Amino acid sequence: MERLKREREGEIWAVGGGKGGTGKTFITSCMGSYLAQKGKSVVLIDVDIGGANLHSFFGISRPAKSLTNFFENGSPLQELAVKTGIDNMQLITGDVYSLASDSIKFTQKLKLFRHIMKLNTQYVLVDLGAGSHNNTLDTFLMADKMIAVLVPEMIAVENMYHFIKNALFRKVRMSLRAYGFKEIVEHVWEKRERYKVRNIRELIDWLRNSFSYIGDILDKELASFKIYLILNKVRSPEDIFIGASMKSALLKYLGIDIDFVGYIEYDDSVWRSIRNQQPFMLYYSSSRCTEEIEDFTENLIQGKEIRLLRA
Amino acid sequence: MSKEELKDYFEILEVSPDASVLEIKNAYLRLKKLYSSDPTVIAPIAEEFPKMRRRQILKEIEEAYSKIRAFLDNEQNQIFADEEPAVSKDLPEEEKTEGISFSGPVLKQIREKLGIQLHEVALETKIRVENLENIESEKFDALPPEPYLKGHLKIYANSLLLDPKKVAADYLERYKEWKGDYSNEWKKDS
Repeated sequence: MERLKREREGEIWAVGGGKGGTGKTFITSCMGSYLAQKGKSVVLIDVDIGGANLHSFFGISRPAKSLTNFFENGSPLQELAVKTGIDNMQLITGDVYSLASDSIKFTQKLKLFRHIMKLNTQYVLVDLGAGSHNNTLDTFLMADKMIAVLVPEMIAVENMYHFIKNALFRKVRMSLRAYGFKEIVEHVWEKRERYKVRNIRELIDWLRNSFSYIGDILDKELASFKIYLILNKVRSPEDIFIGASMKSALLKYLGIDIDFVGYIEYDDSVWRSIRNQQPFMLYYSSSRCTEEIEDFTENLIQGKEIRLLRA
Repeated sequence: MSKEELKDYFEILEVSPDASVLEIKNAYLRLKKLYSSDPTVIAPIAEEFPKMRRRQILKEIEEAYSKIRAFLDNEQNQIFADEEPAVSKDLPEEEKTEGISFSGPVLKQIREKLGIQLHEVALETKIRVENLENIESEKFDALPPEPYLKGHLKIYANSLLLDPKKVAADYLERYKEWKGDYSNEWKKDS
């Protein structure tokens, strides 16, 4: 898979983050629109388990074919792609069962990832559903850019920590799996009291200290564990700093360096565009939110962070 | 101590070594507040770590700020030393600044050496950029009345980590001198 990644010219962005209703689908649709408007070829993939509804953000009806056709009949992904009404951008939709908990096997999932990586397009944007299920986490981890969406509320913050910790644990397990260490990782975590391991950070440190040669592997694998944070529904300047605080806490407690790339203010026009099934970036092109979306999408392209001057 | 040796401290404060004094101060205040009182973002993750960890983080933040601050203060004194070669190097650091008068151009020079943009000062102090420019260029006739000017000078000095009283006193001395000349001239003319 690593090799395939290098062969690709384009980039895969996955949008997740744990809690439902934070605006993952809205943000995916907007980032896709912006990239397409810039002349990039874009394929959106909706793998939301609970309810794939990315199509409604473009005012189009539910596509007749979905990922189920890929899993069951082996239809090529490209054939499942439908027009979105925006030039350069196509959509592949999942459905209620396509990535549901036990309905697809691990090998099927890997096959899907391989085919996503081979799609002939500059950008693939994957909209994940809520939750921290393994299929969701694996899809997230497959991406070149892992994007997490947060709203400035305590519950969302808690969910985000849960999601990131699970993603990191999954990453550690899967990275060490190839070296025959998966069982050890799971064992130590299950019996963590005995090993005096209280959290994922201490687990990583324990592994590093116990098996010196694991250190290099972990360093290499965790260096690619890069999450980009977007804050949605911001209502005050203080809210914006929740992004910066999140970044700080993850770094100081878990040693994870995330990039806070930007935010969107709370605005009724967003709600209105979703209710009326109008593509936001087209209908509200002069809105402040549109500008904010363009800013963080640019930051994502360039790998830059938002710069906050004030305390 | 060089900036390179301070690298870890800049990392603890989560700012780049090129950050302005203002950014560093803001980062320090923000992190201190965050780790001592934040219930929304810190509490959920801090719960699974021992309390010691949080205290240690706060200690590291304090240490990083005091080390960087000491370095910057020293750099500032260096600026004065360059400016006034007459001041003896043997004097204790605090006295070195005694002989220097904080004129507009001196304030400007200090600000530029610290890598702070005028609009950043404006954001922090809520003093308009034009007013700050007028202070720096000593465009005395465009400045607000003395009591306001004094307030502005103090806030501005504070944002450059300078002694507000000394800055205001020095500057106002020059201002009054100008005002005296100006009113004398006016009297002569009439």
